[in-house]
Amino acid sequence: MTDERVPGDQGSNEPADLDLRTFSDDAALVACLRASYARFPAPDAAQVARCTTAVLAATMHAPSRRFGGAARPRWWWGAAAAAVLVVSVLRPWQPEVAVQQADGAFVGASAAPVGTTTESGDAIRFDLTLPNSAQKVALVGDFNGWDEHATPMVRRRNDGAWSAKVPLLPGRHVYAFVVDGRTWLVDPLAPQVPDEGYGPANAVVVEGPR
Amino acid sequence: MTDAELVVRTRAGDPDAFGTLVSRYYDACWRFAYHMLGERADAEDVVQDAFLRAYLAIGRYDERDQFRGWLFRILTNQCHNALTSRGRRTRRFVQDEIALESAPAPPLGLATGVEDAALVHALSQLDPLQREALLLKYAEGLEYGEMSAMTGAGESALKMRVKRGSERLRALLGRSLD
Repeated sequence: MTDERVPGDQGSNEPADLDLRTFSDDAALVACLRASYARFPAPDAAQVARCTTAVLAATMHAPSRRFGGAARPRWWWGAAAAAVLVVSVLRPWQPEVAVQQADGAFVGASAAPVGTTTESGDAIRFDLTLPNSAQKVALVGDFNGWDEHATPMVRRRNDGAWSAKVPLLPGRHVYAFVVDGRTWLVDPLAPQVPDEGYGPANAVVVEGPR
Repeated sequence: MTDAELVVRTRAGDPDAFGTLVSRYYDACWRFAYHMLGERADAEDVVQDAFLRAYLAIGRYDERDQFRGWLFRILTNQCHNALTSRGRRTRRFVQDEIALESAPAPPLGLATGVEDAALVHALSQLDPLQREALLLKYAEGLEYGEMSAMTGAGESALKMRVKRGSERLRALLGRSLD
């Protein structure tokens, strides 16, 4: 995580002439904030249950697949964290952004897995080029419940190019690739986004008013 | 059962263990998110999203860390994301105009409502990073070192955010604080 999460961060460019040594906590504000916390109504049981249910439903209640279970190797944990890509899709598509991303991706195609996303009709097309000879590749993300069987990618050529098209609503989508059912991948050439607590993450942003 | 034990059970596929973690920390997350965002609906969405992300990333959780701190790290990021996307939607910070207008005129002393609408409104006018620092320091009672580990910001920057946020908030609240 960086100190640059929000544009206009006034906290990281402070004048040097402000002396913090003389600053002490404002007791009245402390009391005011804590009193507001104390008075704020606690959530009812239904609200908490709604949260739990929503989380488990969103992950298709599949912790055994997500976390490997006690008897399965823990390859997913680190790999998935490193493989998270964040895409903000705000239509319409900006061709120049797509071209820039595609150009950047192909630069490293011979050395490492690279991916691109492009608009294709009402869907988003995900492409992944692998330097190895994978037998199967799947696209997983919050849009398919992270189900590695839901969105298999199609081999486009015999040079490691795979693709899949998924209809996605405008908004933010998180996804990754699963190779041969066991290796999770991140596109190393995609733009970086601030670490949200899961390790490295990439971003492809497509935005603009329709 | 400790947090660490619940995390182990969650990783092993026990949904009840995760449900216990949600029950244990939902309240704290809910209060923080509401004071950061100023809207209950947004706060509920953000807290749910934070727990979802925590669930998906629980394999990365280091048992040497406090689960609450790790969860709040995710939560603070989700709050910032929500504020950013709210900016895109050009929505106002406090959407519930009726609640604001029906709140008592600037209270003398602490507000007597179920929550301090004047305080929440004043918080909304702070820079988000100052608001976050104030809440973490004054409401959550964290040390600057803990805040630094959670937010990624340096301790000096955090102190400055608290200082400036305090000054701004005190000016906004005026005599109601005295």
